[in-house]
Amino acid sequence: MTSSAEDIPAKDISILLVEDDPPTNWRLKDALERAGFDVAAATTLAEARASLEARQPRVLLTDLQLPDGHGIELIGETRAHLPETEIMVISILGDEESVISAITVGATGYILKDAFPTDIAATVRELVAGHSPISASIARFIVRRTQSAAGPASGPPLNTTRLTPREIDILWGIAKGFSYAEIAGHLGMSRQTVPGHIKSIYRKLEVHTRGEAVFEAVQQGLIKL
Amino acid sequence: MTDAAKPASTAQPSRSRNVASRLAQYVLLQALIAALCILALRHPLSEPPSRYLAATFTLLDRGASRSVTLPAFVPSRAGMSDPAEFKARFDWSKTGADDAWSVYVPRFTNGIEIIVNGIEIFDSRRDPSANRPDRATPEIAVIPASLLREGANDLAIRLYAWGPLSGFLDQIFVGPDDVLRPYYEKRALLFLTLPMVFSAWQGMLAVILIVLWTVRRHEPAYGILALAMALGAIQPFLQSTIDEPAHPHLNAALIASAPLESGLVLAFAMLFFARRWPPYAALIFAPGIGLILIGLFASPDALRGAFLLLGIPSIAINLTLLALVVGWSELRKQDVPSLLLGCAVTIVMTCLAHDVLSVAQILPDRRLFFSRLSYSVLLIAIGAGLTWRFARALNRVDGFAAHLVTQLRKAEEKLRAAFVREQEQARAVELARERTRLMRDLHDGLGGQLVSIVALSERDQAASGVGEAARAALKDLRLVIDSMDDIGGDLMLALGSWRDRLTAQLRPHGIALDWKITPPGLPVHPELRPSHVIQIVRLLDEAVTNAVKHASATTITVSIATLTDLSGAYGCITVEDDGQGFAPASGASRSAGRGLRNMQSRAARCGATCEVVSNSTGTRVRLILPHRFPDSDAR
Repeated sequence: MTSSAEDIPAKDISILLVEDDPPTNWRLKDALERAGFDVAAATTLAEARASLEARQPRVLLTDLQLPDGHGIELIGETRAHLPETEIMVISILGDEESVISAITVGATGYILKDAFPTDIAATVRELVAGHSPISASIARFIVRRTQSAAGPASGPPLNTTRLTPREIDILWGIAKGFSYAEIAGHLGMSRQTVPGHIKSIYRKLEVHTRGEAVFEAVQQGLIKL
Repeated sequence: MTDAAKPASTAQPSRSRNVASRLAQYVLLQALIAALCILALRHPLSEPPSRYLAATFTLLDRGASRSVTLPAFVPSRAGMSDPAEFKARFDWSKTGADDAWSVYVPRFTNGIEIIVNGIEIFDSRRDPSANRPDRATPEIAVIPASLLREGANDLAIRLYAWGPLSGFLDQIFVGPDDVLRPYYEKRALLFLTLPMVFSAWQGMLAVILIVLWTVRRHEPAYGILALAMALGAIQPFLQSTIDEPAHPHLNAALIASAPLESGLVLAFAMLFFARRWPPYAALIFAPGIGLILIGLFASPDALRGAFLLLGIPSIAINLTLLALVVGWSELRKQDVPSLLLGCAVTIVMTCLAHDVLSVAQILPDRRLFFSRLSYSVLLIAIGAGLTWRFARALNRVDGFAAHLVTQLRKAEEKLRAAFVREQEQARAVELARERTRLMRDLHDGLGGQLVSIVALSERDQAASGVGEAARAALKDLRLVIDSMDDIGGDLMLALGSWRDRLTAQLRPHGIALDWKITPPGLPVHPELRPSHVIQIVRLLDEAVTNAVKHASATTITVSIATLTDLSGAYGCITVEDDGQGFAPASGASRSAGRGLRNMQSRAARCGATCEVVSNSTGTRVRLILPHRFPDSDAR
């Protein structure tokens, strides 16, 4: 969002990568290091906690299914203790199940596990600059929640009441495949402000007490106790 | 009539003008009816040829003798001992064997004896109906052949007049029985049979009304009218005191019940038409009840006097009030019963006025009373009006029933729609739940493994084909999961996700994606099913894959627009590349041709058509969506 953030050299951006599948861990780490980022990798929740404590990274990139716990817990803790840290969830399908659950506990971005190395680096850089990524299917999931108050919905619970009509319009545009430029033109705003709005939307979807978030995650069966 | 149906929202002045014009119309109609009635009353009844008229009589009345021409009046007297005697002569000559002669007396009050050549041949006092002065009973008496003499014969009529009316004797005819009898029959029909028929009708009305009132106790109007009808219906069975009935006082009281009857009819009209009962309304019964009490406890003479003084005026007053009530109701409601009753009351009032005026000898008096006869018109009006009301009520019930049926059908339809909606909702929820479960499974299992393959293949650079295959598998997995989502018939939502996947697919190939949406995109199709979405997206994927693999394109343009033709709006999606097209017979064209057939069969499965144009400057795939997607894809 701020132009100064984009000026930060890649080597000054520290990243903690948490991924338990060794080939994927290697692949992501390789892609980020090639882009010049300062990357530390972890494969378990315990390792990740220790590393977080020690390095206080600028960016946390975490998978959700970990051998000794759930990524949701890690995201919640990081959000509580390191508010400056940008959090991204690593998703396989870019689906709402994992991404939205992560967003409700404080994540503001996601990357696909099979994304191309250049895309992975670009997404991280964008996030540090305040630009959250969003897919059409995630936008669709959120706006459909704003529509149908009635009826039992599947997927993670989502409180959309704090979203403004303009934010909902932006989400509709994304869900229907319009470009940021088209959305901005249609809503009479600058193209550059759209990604900032996305981050603001994610922040509004966040559930604020940690207990509440964990409770809901448990209810959804995301955390297996 | 139709004016009444209009809403009463018109301005006050025009409304009062309206009422004034309706009042004028009503009064004019009643005046016309009265005039017609007077014309009919003044029309003389047919009489036998005047050569049979016995015109000149010598009247012996209370010792005095004078010559009179009939019709003639004599004062009434107290007893039967001293009748007035009319004497005349008529000529008879024997012409044939069975040539019977008769004396025909069309009208008299109150009783007569006919004496021919000194022998009495007829006494009307033995005929109860003739003893009722309010009935214009005609009499005919056959003269026994043995009494007749060739040449002049003596005829004497003794006239008894016991009040309250004076004695009256109309013109008398003496002649052949076969000439005179038809005139007698005609009068008897009019003044005896017809009243009997109407009495029967009145009796039936009474029974119907009693039944009505028993069923509908909360409507006393019917009970009151039933009582009136019952009082009227017994009239023909009552005898005058001359006939010495078993209960003379009760009989006299009932004969004098007409004022009470008129009061009851008025009370009915007030309840039925005006639906109100003014505080002193019970007074209308006072004269009637008074007369009945006089009849029960006083002498017949007192009753006769009281009837003339009290009964007739009270009947007239009741009729006037009835005319006002009915007229007011007709002006306000303009319904058939008030109009019928209004006209009938006018007729009765005209006849009553005629009768009173002729009794008072202001009009030529032939002692023909039409009030009771005209009352039958009122009875017919009451019957017709009631029937009309019932028919209307039945119609209203039918209408209400029809309305209920319609309402019920509407409610049923709503319920059915709600049920269908609920079922659909339940299906959508089930689909979403299934999708969530499947996605979790795929995410944790197949998806993770595919990602691992991608990562591994990238580490060992050699096996890049495997990596590509794994990526394609992941892409297809995303498509399948995405298509299962409930997009509410908005294909744009599916295309939005497709755009995300397409962008990721094209980036490593260095091909630009030009995505053009002509607002508002595509029409919404509530009948759109996940199977349609998969077919469409796979078709589009195929088009893009052809461009990527065979065309050496630098830009792929996807255009989305809604077109309109005669049968409505439909969507159109175009995928264009700026590549080299596919030349026939080359290897690329063979696989492109296979792709083409594939695309066309996919399009056919969801009712769409797919046009492909390829030349050296590029390939264009145009997918034209149907107006309505088929229920299930035809496999």
